[in-house]
Amino acid sequence: MNSAIQIEHLDFCYGAKQALFDVSMEIPALQVTALIGPSGCGKSTLLRCFNRINDRIAGARVTGGSIRIHDIDIMRPDIDLLELRRHVGMVFQKYNPFAKSIYENVAYSSRIAGIKDKARLDEIVESSLRDAALWDEVKDRVHDSAFGLSGGQQQRLCIARAIANRPEILLMDEPCAALDPLATLKIEELIQQLKKQFTIVIVTHNMAQASRCSDKTAFMYLGKLIEFDDTKKIFTNPREKQTEQYITGSFG
Amino acid sequence: MSVVSSSEISRPPIQRKGFSYDRLIRYFFASNAGLTIVILLLIIAFLLKEGLGFFPGYRRELEIYRITGMEFVDLSRTNLTSHEQLTSLLNRAYFAEINGQADRELKRSTEAAALVADIDDFTASVRDSYFSATEEAAPAAEVIARLKAQYAALLSLAIKDLPPSPHLTEEERKGIIDAMMQRPIDNEDTPEFVTKLAGEYATARQKFAAPLEEARTRIDAFEAAGSELNSLVGEMTSLVRVSKDALNKSDILERERKSLLAAAASAKDPATRERLQQEAKTALAEVPDIRETTEKVLAKKSQCSEAHQKLHQSITGLTAQLTFSYQQAESVKLQRAALAAMPAFLKELEAAPAKIEAWNAAEPVHLSAAIHSFLTGKSWVTGGEWQDFYGILPLLTGSLMIAIVALLIAIPVGIGAAIYTNQFASLREQKLIKPIIEFIQAIPSVVLGFIGIFILGEALRTLSTSPALAWFPGFPMDERLNIFTAGCLLALMSIPTIFSLAEDAINNVPAAYSEASEALGASKLQTTFRVVVPAAFSGILAAVLLGFGRVIGETMVVLLVAGNRIKIPDFSAGVGAFFQPAHTMTGIIAQELGEVPVGSVHYRALFVVGILLFAIVLGINATAHHFTRKMKH
Repeated sequence: MNSAIQIEHLDFCYGAKQALFDVSMEIPALQVTALIGPSGCGKSTLLRCFNRINDRIAGARVTGGSIRIHDIDIMRPDIDLLELRRHVGMVFQKYNPFAKSIYENVAYSSRIAGIKDKARLDEIVESSLRDAALWDEVKDRVHDSAFGLSGGQQQRLCIARAIANRPEILLMDEPCAALDPLATLKIEELIQQLKKQFTIVIVTHNMAQASRCSDKTAFMYLGKLIEFDDTKKIFTNPREKQTEQYITGSFG
Repeated sequence: MSVVSSSEISRPPIQRKGFSYDRLIRYFFASNAGLTIVILLLIIAFLLKEGLGFFPGYRRELEIYRITGMEFVDLSRTNLTSHEQLTSLLNRAYFAEINGQADRELKRSTEAAALVADIDDFTASVRDSYFSATEEAAPAAEVIARLKAQYAALLSLAIKDLPPSPHLTEEERKGIIDAMMQRPIDNEDTPEFVTKLAGEYATARQKFAAPLEEARTRIDAFEAAGSELNSLVGEMTSLVRVSKDALNKSDILERERKSLLAAAASAKDPATRERLQQEAKTALAEVPDIRETTEKVLAKKSQCSEAHQKLHQSITGLTAQLTFSYQQAESVKLQRAALAAMPAFLKELEAAPAKIEAWNAAEPVHLSAAIHSFLTGKSWVTGGEWQDFYGILPLLTGSLMIAIVALLIAIPVGIGAAIYTNQFASLREQKLIKPIIEFIQAIPSVVLGFIGIFILGEALRTLSTSPALAWFPGFPMDERLNIFTAGCLLALMSIPTIFSLAEDAINNVPAAYSEASEALGASKLQTTFRVVVPAAFSGILAAVLLGFGRVIGETMVVLLVAGNRIKIPDFSAGVGAFFQPAHTMTGIIAQELGEVPVGSVHYRALFVVGILLFAIVLGINATAHHFTRKMKH
């Protein structure tokens, strides 16, 4: 199996506080990998290392190990961050469309990349909205404000915006945390569609969600990777005691 | 069995009457809030009460203006004034030409005279004491000797710091100074050479005037053409002034009578009432009969029309001959201005007879005329001998033009600084920039005005005289205090407002926006200008509007620096209009309110200006409030 991201002995600190300890794993391409664990276990931190969005936080830095995508260490100082982020898209916990129209939200990444051709932009917007299963709902009002959409629609718009870049890897940081069950279901269905085109890494608090829609699951605890295996195996026959306790709800 | 009465149980009653302690505190705070609202309402009520009386009062003034025939006289007078202005322009062009030609002689003469004057000023005190000492009996020799010694000492001091004289040769300069040094204390004659230079200048003037003789005669003819109209206007003016004074006086008496009657009506004691009513009766002024004088004025209708026609005729004849081939740039400019104004003047003259014939003293003056005259009036004339006019336009344009200059400077600077500070500055820079910009607000505006007059005003004027900038419209500036200077200072005052509010607006944009943008591969710059600033747009707009409100309402700086000329700037100068002095709505209130008699029409006019100002600022703030609310979705 091809791996999309290779993580080796990763240590990560927020200032003086170490958040990740010696994490090593290989995230397979074109599959859904779920990161689970109790709050503060470092799963979001790990996710946010993959596109180095953690760089926004002063004092946050990798102190050891490496993350490689396409065999390139993305922590090297000469990495073109903008290019990396076009390669590794991200969807956030709270849907956050810009204060622009639906169309402009999706076209944003193309515009900043310098695409001006109207027909080309139209095409990108339509195909991205179709891939995010939103096109049929909004095709008549793509020039209306994005804030007029429902929460679930706004989150799918954010997914459309992220995949408009045609990234290889799509990071999702608890994408359904702010949504109701029906909207959550739609996103989960969407993830099944998207994994045909994108490698997906999803952080979730919802165990059921992890078991429903992921192929691989990593359980993290206190900044350490406890267990990483096929989802089926993790949820039926975990190797570690802590994993079992967490999954059965004994703690966390 | 005895029943225990309730009074024997010593418990506080469940239901208490009157005020409790808690309630008292509540009422105290409620009354504080209430008080401010009541005060605001009182202020509005006071403004309206004092201000709205203006329109009836102004209507009466305009009525007097009409029935006395002053309005009729002004029909001719405006044309006379334009004629005088044109004459002055032509004359200035003529003299500028001669002085320009004789420039060398003029400069040599003035420089030499300046040298002499400087030395004279320096030694004046000693010479004065010398003359007063010798006026009476011959003083003691030692006194004279002492004064002479002082004089010599002052002379040698005086020549150490003399004005430059670039148009005199070194020798000539030395000659003048030597002559002055050798001049005895009792001699007041100007050195010969200086007199000679003055003579040379006079000769040069004559010499250069000779070829312009034709111009001189024609300009004189132009000037003389207005003399008939001039004397007519003079006659009529003295006639109508008498009627106006009589009417004003009777109006005052009438007002007194009314107040006496009012006092009588409210008097409780019958005797007092009787007395007051009696007084009122005697105070009853005769309404002066002004019909006679008005008719006398109107009798001149045909004369006025004729004078206009004649003036029109002679000027039409002269216009073609008024173009002279001047060589000095200044003269050409002045002449061009005069000739450009000529067609409009001729048109006025042509239309005048019809206006004069159609004028009717009996036409009523409605309240709407007073309102119209206030809102569209192009002149604000007060305390004059003739007629007062309260037109808001010069003040409104002044205020707006100053605000435009201020905002044109403050918007880019304030918003730019806000964007930089919030988006790009390091934490240390932020901690430095914010307090410094906000500190500007702490500078008292009178101090800023001071800086404006003596530093900025001077510097701008010096800059504007530099030949390299002569192409710029309005340069060199005529006045040190003008719209632009005031606008610069107001920009400084509104930058903190715009900066702080814009920075807040940018800061309020959720971090999720910039995070999402960066996750999409946008650079910091792209994120700022494509996502953050647009999202903060309504907040930034509110910041700009509040800055605008601050600028419109500011008084002290404009009063000190705007130049206070009550005139609509001359827009034919293009951008140059911004380098002319102006007066403002706030400035006029501050300047005139202390001097006007309470209750007069002028006093009320200032209140109306205040109400207008209040309404404008209220409107601006309401709009800003609307945008701020929009920002919060």
